[in-house]
Amino acid sequence: MEKSKICRRCVLVENGVDVRLNQEGVCNICLDYSEGGKTDNLQRNPLESGFIKILNKTKGKGEYDCLVMCSGGKDSTAALYFMKKRYKLNALAFTFDHSFESKEALENVKNAAEALKADFLYFKSEFMKEMFCDILKNNSKAVLCHVCSIWYMDIVLKTAARFKIPVIIGGWTKGQCSRKAESARERFDEKEKEFASMSKETKEFLNMYKKTNPKYRDFPLSMREAITRAGKKHKCVILSPHWFLPFESEEYVEIIKRELGWKYAALSYPAKSTNCELNFISVYNSIKYFGYTHYHVEMAKMVREGVLDREEALKNLEINFDKTLLNKIAAKLDYRFD
Amino acid sequence: MNVLGVSCYYHDAAACLIKDGHVVAAAQEERFNRRKFSAQLPVCAINYCVQAGGIAFNDIDYVGFYEKPFLKFSRVLINHLKAYPFSLSNFLKTTPEWLKDRLVLPLVLKKELGIKKEVFFIKHHLSHAASAFLVSPFEKAAILTADGVGEWATLSCGLGEGNSIKIVKEIHYPDSLGLLYTAITTYLGFKALAGEGKVMGLAAYGKPVYLDKFRKIVAVNPDGSFQIDECYFGFNRGGRMYSDRFVKMFGPAREPEGKIDERHSDMAASVQAFTEEVLISIARNLNAQLGVKNLCLAGGLFLNCVANHKILENTGFEKIFVQPAAGDSGGALGVAAYIYNTFLNNPRNFVMKHAYLGPEFSQGHIKRILRMSDLNFKEFNEQELYAYVAGKIAKNKIVGWFQGRMEFGPRALGNRSILANPCNPEMKELLNSKVKKREQFRPYAPAVLAERSREFFALKDDSPFMLLACAVREDKKKLIPAVTHVDTTARVQTVAQGSNPRFWQLIKAFEKITGVPILINTSFNLRGEPIVCSPEEAIECFKNSEMDILVLENFVLEK
Repeated sequence: MEKSKICRRCVLVENGVDVRLNQEGVCNICLDYSEGGKTDNLQRNPLESGFIKILNKTKGKGEYDCLVMCSGGKDSTAALYFMKKRYKLNALAFTFDHSFESKEALENVKNAAEALKADFLYFKSEFMKEMFCDILKNNSKAVLCHVCSIWYMDIVLKTAARFKIPVIIGGWTKGQCSRKAESARERFDEKEKEFASMSKETKEFLNMYKKTNPKYRDFPLSMREAITRAGKKHKCVILSPHWFLPFESEEYVEIIKRELGWKYAALSYPAKSTNCELNFISVYNSIKYFGYTHYHVEMAKMVREGVLDREEALKNLEINFDKTLLNKIAAKLDYRFD
Repeated sequence: MNVLGVSCYYHDAAACLIKDGHVVAAAQEERFNRRKFSAQLPVCAINYCVQAGGIAFNDIDYVGFYEKPFLKFSRVLINHLKAYPFSLSNFLKTTPEWLKDRLVLPLVLKKELGIKKEVFFIKHHLSHAASAFLVSPFEKAAILTADGVGEWATLSCGLGEGNSIKIVKEIHYPDSLGLLYTAITTYLGFKALAGEGKVMGLAAYGKPVYLDKFRKIVAVNPDGSFQIDECYFGFNRGGRMYSDRFVKMFGPAREPEGKIDERHSDMAASVQAFTEEVLISIARNLNAQLGVKNLCLAGGLFLNCVANHKILENTGFEKIFVQPAAGDSGGALGVAAYIYNTFLNNPRNFVMKHAYLGPEFSQGHIKRILRMSDLNFKEFNEQELYAYVAGKIAKNKIVGWFQGRMEFGPRALGNRSILANPCNPEMKELLNSKVKKREQFRPYAPAVLAERSREFFALKDDSPFMLLACAVREDKKKLIPAVTHVDTTARVQTVAQGSNPRFWQLIKAFEKITGVPILINTSFNLRGEPIVCSPEEAIECFKNSEMDILVLENFVLEK
């Protein structure tokens, strides 16, 4: 990655399509942000009492007060911690394993659920393996993480409906949600310019793939479709406590390390995360096809909103893996990178 | 034990959190919602207090409200009836507000904040009294509170001892020095609840030629208590606060933004002198009655720093404590302290030595904000910073100074301040034209090193909250013309090294360059806006004014 092609304000990489740099080296997304995309203080930092108001409306109405999507990462583990300890809710910890999750991530979720005395639902499935495999073998530009997220959200929504859970909690931080935090529902908002090409490719792939593969006939085309479809059967809100709390990640990492025995994964991308092994392949392909990953988009937002230091973001986004690792993971999908 | 105090629905809404007896957070709602003097339920300030106090909403043990809404509503209803039919439109306008939230506060707190605790209500003036005494350094003290009106009381006298407060006397509505002062403020063309300080500043330009007339419309008894002749006022009608008879006696009112002439200055001087006269009389009687050395003051009227110092000079009290948020915002602190100390009978373990109880922002956060702005900035280490900034101030640069926790109360006390050179005779005009856009007659205040304050000012006591105005020493007047008011007084802030080390260091650095241990200290805001709270707001204020330098913690931005 050439340094000269990275926006000098945020961390997005010029790809000539969605992200373009001006003569001063500032990207179109940052310029739009300066010219009016800037959120006001209350949008940037919605009040915790607003969150409590939502939780109180539904508390005690389902079998659980909320379902927490736990990946084993710091943010979702802290989200479970807050729901149990700070808001004293009857939370269901939910995690899925598509066979690529790291050992540390799964241990983190298990330990957290035990320490917090939360019911824990572990969902293991190889349902997506075939699709992942075909994306790679067909050299599709569809983003593995996008299709996986749609699938994950679809399962989560179905689980929430099964237990009549009114609130779904994720560990999304302020950079991982769309601007109006309280109404944000999607991690990959296809309406956002940075995601335009990624979303288009993923949607086109799914559209075609569903028609030719009966197994995936009902697979939602987008996160939005998954949510809309689920909403017809069961109403729920999707939120993250991190949008409403002022704590920086260092603060809650200390707490979850101390109280829940939480650990970083030995190797994960970006640095200081516990993302799955397949994520390495997704990152490799995203950079190859689009110049950047959804992590660049998230961290760019965090830099713009002043919640993450640009140097730290760039450091976290440095590629820390090679093809040997990629091929070791790809072997599980009968694929090999040249 | 966590006690949350709330004040709102009139003006200066605020919240305060007391944790095991210590005031850990307090702030006015206006700083968050950016509406000056905001009266709304202080939802943002409550969120801030809970989070800054390191607790969850569930951890709040008690909630206190700074007045008794039903008692207040009874006064409002009775007065509407008395003034019928003139009060009808005001009645129709305000009654729904009472029914919607003020009379059902516990429900509102539950709905808006999820707080399900029982809410304790104490009288408005008891909140003021508690806000002054329970956090004061005194074991025993007389307490004097005065403002426009609470429920019925407009002024109260009391005795504080240990963790108890006994109210010994009250003066009731409509007899109100606060309302009188506000009525004259509006008569002089300034906004009620905002322009009283302007009247105080204007008073120095006039002579109290109408003092006798004030004595005629307000009958003052030997003990200082008084009765207002309501014929001259219109407190109940919801329109203007003075009557036609008042206009007949004093002449036509000044139009807002109109020219200020001698009559207006004299009017301001007269109401100021009359207010001082009555307060001194009441305080003297209180001193004689209670025989204590210390006095605690609170209530909006005691934001009047000129009257405060005269009370200290003329009443036999040796020490005075004026709580920095003396107005209604301080009621949040008062009720929380009352619940913890008096109601729950916990010994007092906190003295309010400073007012830095609001939000603060880390260097890292500020650096990130700055990097996203298009402004050039430089990072300094501590000692370099003080020397550099002091040097610039000495060269007559106007500096926005943003550091640490925001102040509680209306005064900027060195953490959200605009600073300038007090030695430059042109500086007042420069500040007015480049940044503050204030009326020419208003003075700027000095912040002085506490240990050298008596060399420059005839202060009878320390004034850490900028709530005492006193004479500038004769031999120093020429040294600090920009902070010496027309009557040769100054509204002083004494800065102790222990209470604000960084601000103290900066003044010390200025002293090293100029020999003068003083800086002009005015609030970090533009005209009509609340004081800045966040670095983003400070940057906006810097961009939208002709301020020369902005200091955000250790980062310096220059134009």
